[in-house]
Amino acid sequence: MRTWKVTRRTEPLGWGSFLLFIMAFGISLAISGFLLFLQGKPGLGGILLLLEGGFGHGYSLEDTFLKAIPIFLCAAGVAVCFRMQVWNIGVEGQYVMGAAGATWVVLTFPDAPMWAMLPAMGIGAMVAGGLWASLPALLRLYAHMNEIISSLMLNYIALVILQRLVYGPWKDPDGAGFPHTMVFPDPAVIGTFLGRIHYGLLACLVCGLGLVFFLKRTRLGFEVTVGGENATAARYAGMPYARLVLFVFVVCGALAGLAGGIETSAVLHRLSMNISVGYGYTAIVVAWLARLRVGRIALFAFLLAGLRVGVENLQLELGVPAAFAGMMEGCILLTVLAAQFFDNYALRRVQAQPAAAGQKGAGA
Amino acid sequence: MHTTQPLVSLEGICKSFGPVKANNNISLNFYPGRIKALLGENGAGKSTLMSMLAGSLQPDAGTIRVLGTPVRFTSPRHAHNAGIGMVYQHFKLVDSMTVAENVMLGQEDGFLLHPAKMYASIATLARTYGIEIDPAARVEDLSMGERQRVEILKLLRRESSVLIFDEPTAVLTPKETEQLFYAFQRMAALEKSIVFISHKLQEVMEIADEIAILRRGEVVEEFDRESVPDKTTLASRMIGRSMNTEMHRPALAPGEEVVVVENLEVKGLQPLSFSLRKSEVLAIAGVAGNGQKELVEVLAGLCAPRQGNVRLLGKSWKEFFPTPPKVNGLAYIPEDRQGMATCPDLSLVDNLLLTSREIFTEGMLLQRSAGLAATLQIISQYDVRPGNPQASGRSLSGGNLQKLVIGRELLRQPAVIIAENPTQGLDIAATEDVWARLLEARQHAGILLVTGDVNEALQLADRIAVMYRGKFVDCFPVTDAVKVAQIGSMMAGVAYR
Repeated sequence: MRTWKVTRRTEPLGWGSFLLFIMAFGISLAISGFLLFLQGKPGLGGILLLLEGGFGHGYSLEDTFLKAIPIFLCAAGVAVCFRMQVWNIGVEGQYVMGAAGATWVVLTFPDAPMWAMLPAMGIGAMVAGGLWASLPALLRLYAHMNEIISSLMLNYIALVILQRLVYGPWKDPDGAGFPHTMVFPDPAVIGTFLGRIHYGLLACLVCGLGLVFFLKRTRLGFEVTVGGENATAARYAGMPYARLVLFVFVVCGALAGLAGGIETSAVLHRLSMNISVGYGYTAIVVAWLARLRVGRIALFAFLLAGLRVGVENLQLELGVPAAFAGMMEGCILLTVLAAQFFDNYALRRVQAQPAAAGQKGAGA
Repeated sequence: MHTTQPLVSLEGICKSFGPVKANNNISLNFYPGRIKALLGENGAGKSTLMSMLAGSLQPDAGTIRVLGTPVRFTSPRHAHNAGIGMVYQHFKLVDSMTVAENVMLGQEDGFLLHPAKMYASIATLARTYGIEIDPAARVEDLSMGERQRVEILKLLRRESSVLIFDEPTAVLTPKETEQLFYAFQRMAALEKSIVFISHKLQEVMEIADEIAILRRGEVVEEFDRESVPDKTTLASRMIGRSMNTEMHRPALAPGEEVVVVENLEVKGLQPLSFSLRKSEVLAIAGVAGNGQKELVEVLAGLCAPRQGNVRLLGKSWKEFFPTPPKVNGLAYIPEDRQGMATCPDLSLVDNLLLTSREIFTEGMLLQRSAGLAATLQIISQYDVRPGNPQASGRSLSGGNLQKLVIGRELLRQPAVIIAENPTQGLDIAATEDVWARLLEARQHAGILLVTGDVNEALQLADRIAVMYRGKFVDCFPVTDAVKVAQIGSMMAGVAYR
C-alpha cells in the first residue's frame, strides 16, 4: 500500500517557489471565474475583462499605479509591525487620520507657499497617523489589551471622526451642503509627472529604500527583527521590548498617515468620506503575500491595485458589485498562503508503514 | 520474583543525539499491577527513554516488546494502539471544551454525539479509578491537577495498559499529589502498569513498587520495594561520582566583591545572602526547580528584586540595570540556548550581535562588517562547526551553539558571568572545552555557576552553595571533603549532620 507523506524540505525551493505562486494565483482566478459563472456571467471572459481593465491599457496602468501608491505605503508600515509580531489591523484608521492631519495643515495655513505647504502636510499626516497608532500600542502596554481588537475598533472611530469633520467644522461653505472640505489651493496639491501618476511615487521609493536600510543597517531595525524572531531572546539581550512595540506602531501609523496625506493632496484634492476605500485592509493582505519583504510588497501592491482597477471595469461591463474585489483579494490570500506550505514541506508518495504489532489492549 | 509476563519490555535500547548518548543499552521490564519509578537527574535520559516507549522518538538500536512480540512504533498512534500512553508535562488539551469532550476527542463512537451518555460514561470511568472530576466542566476552569486527571482519563478511555507520567507531581499541590497517588494505586490494582519519571526521592520511596535509577543515559541500579536502601544511599546513586578528568585549575587570588546579595527575596525564594568575588567561581548546586531560576532572573536583570539588596559591581540593582556597562559588565549564559540565548532563524552574525550589538554600534548604525569579523574570529578560536557565519543558528548542534554563545558573552570582557548548566547536553570534548573557557575567564570575572551536575561544580568551583527549596542548605569551600561528600543528600533535601 502506498500513501502520501508530508516531509520537511531541507533545501529551499528557489524558483519553484515562484511557480507555486503562479499556480496559486491561477487557482484563485479560476475560483473567481467560477463565482462569476454562478452569477450567470461569462467566467473566463469576465477574468480576461478584469485583467485587461487592470493592466491592459495605458490609462488603466495609470490607475493601477495611483492605487498602488497608498497600498504600498500602508503595507510597508504593516510589515514593520508584523515583523515584530505585533498585529496592527488599524492601518485604515491611521491612513484616514493622516489624511485629516494633512488637511488640517491646509485649512489652517491656506496661503502657505508650496515649499512650506507640502512638507508641512507630510509632517502633519505622519504625526496624526503616528499618534493614532500609538493608542493601541499604549493600550496593549499599559492595559494589556489585545492590539488586534483595539486597533481594528479604532478604524471605526477614525471614520466617525472623519465624518464629524467633513459634516461639521471643515465643511466647504461653498459646497452646497456636500460633506467635504473646500478644494485644496494649488500649492497643497502634489504634481504629476507621467500622465496622472504623481510624485507620491517618489515618497514610496524613499520610504521603501529607507525601510530596507533601517531594518538591515540600524541597531533599532535589528532590535525590531529580533523582537519578532524571539521575544525571549530580545528580553534576554536587554532590548526595551515595550518601547519597541510602541515604536513599530508609530512607524506604521506614520507611513499609513503619509499615504492618507498624499492621497487627499494628489488624488482627491480635498478631504471627503471618499478617502476611505479600504486600502488599509488591502495593505494587510499585501504585506502577508509579500511575506513582509519590502521589494515584494511593491510587486504585490501593484498586483492588488490592478485587481481593484480591473473590478471597476467589471462593474461597468458586467454589472458585478464592487465587493467582488474584496472576494478576490481574500481568495488570492488563501490560495497563496496555502501554497506557501509547499515552500517548506514536500508531499512524497511512500510505502505505508506496516502497522505496529501487538494490537489494541495488550494485556486487557 | 515476577511470575507474570511483562506487559512491555525494553531490551538494549540506545539513542544518540549527535555525539551525545542519551540512552545507552537500556533494558527494563514493565509488569501489570506495578508502579515503576524512573529516578534520575535532569539530562539523565529519562524523558528520552519514555518518548521512545510512547512512540514519539525511535530508538537507534534495541527492541521494544509488547507481551513478548517485538514492535516498532513510528508514531504515538502506534504506541496508543499497542496500549501505551503518556501524560506529558505540558498537557495537550483543548481549553474551551469540556472534560468529557476532551476525553472523547478523536474517539467518538459515531457521527452524532450524545452529550448525556458521554458525560455518564466518563463519570463511570472516573469513578472506577477513584478520579474526582466533573465531566461537564470546561478545561479552562480547571486546576493543573484536574487537567492532569483529564489526560489520565484520555488514556484510560483508550484502554491503555501502560501509563507513563513525565514528572507528574511537578505542577501539583500536596493534596493533589496525594489524590494522584491514590489513582495510581487504583490503576495498579486494576492491572495497569504505571511508569513515572521523577527526581524527587520522597515521593518515589512513598509510592513506587520498583525503582530504576538512570544516570548519564544508563540504568545504574534497580530496586524492588523490599530492597530499597535509605534515602541517602539512593541520593548518592542518583547523582553518582564520575570524575573522568581533572580540570587544571590554577589558583587565583580572589579580587574585590563583584556581586553582593543581602536578604534577597523573590517569589519562591527564601531570604538569601551571599557574595561573589572577582577570580572566583561560586557554584550553586541543586536539582532544577529549587529557586535557581528565580535567583538568576534577578541577577541577570530580567526580574526586579522584591525585597533585599543586590549590588553589582558596586552599584545597586536599579542603578545597574537600565543601562548595564557595554564592556566589563555582566554576561549571562542561559540554560536555554535555542529559546533564549539565540534566535534560531537568524544568522550567526546576527546572533553574535544579539547581546554585543552595543559594541558594534556607531551612531545609530550597526557595524555589520565588524560583527562579521568578530564572528569569524569566534568560529576559528572556538572551533565552531559548521563555520559559515551566515548559516542560521538552527543549523548548529547544541555544543557548537554553546561555543558561539560563550565566545559572544566573553567578547565584552565581563566582570560578572552567570552560567546556567553550561554543559548540559554536550559531549565530553565540548564539555571540557567550555569548562576550560570558563576557568580562563576567571582572570577578569567572578563566575556564578548554576548547575545540577555535582561533578561540574567540583571541577570548576572554589565554593559550593547547595540550594534546596529556595534557600542555601550550606555554602562551603570545595576543599571541605566532609561537606563535599554530603552534597548528594543536601541536594535531595535529606537532613545531614
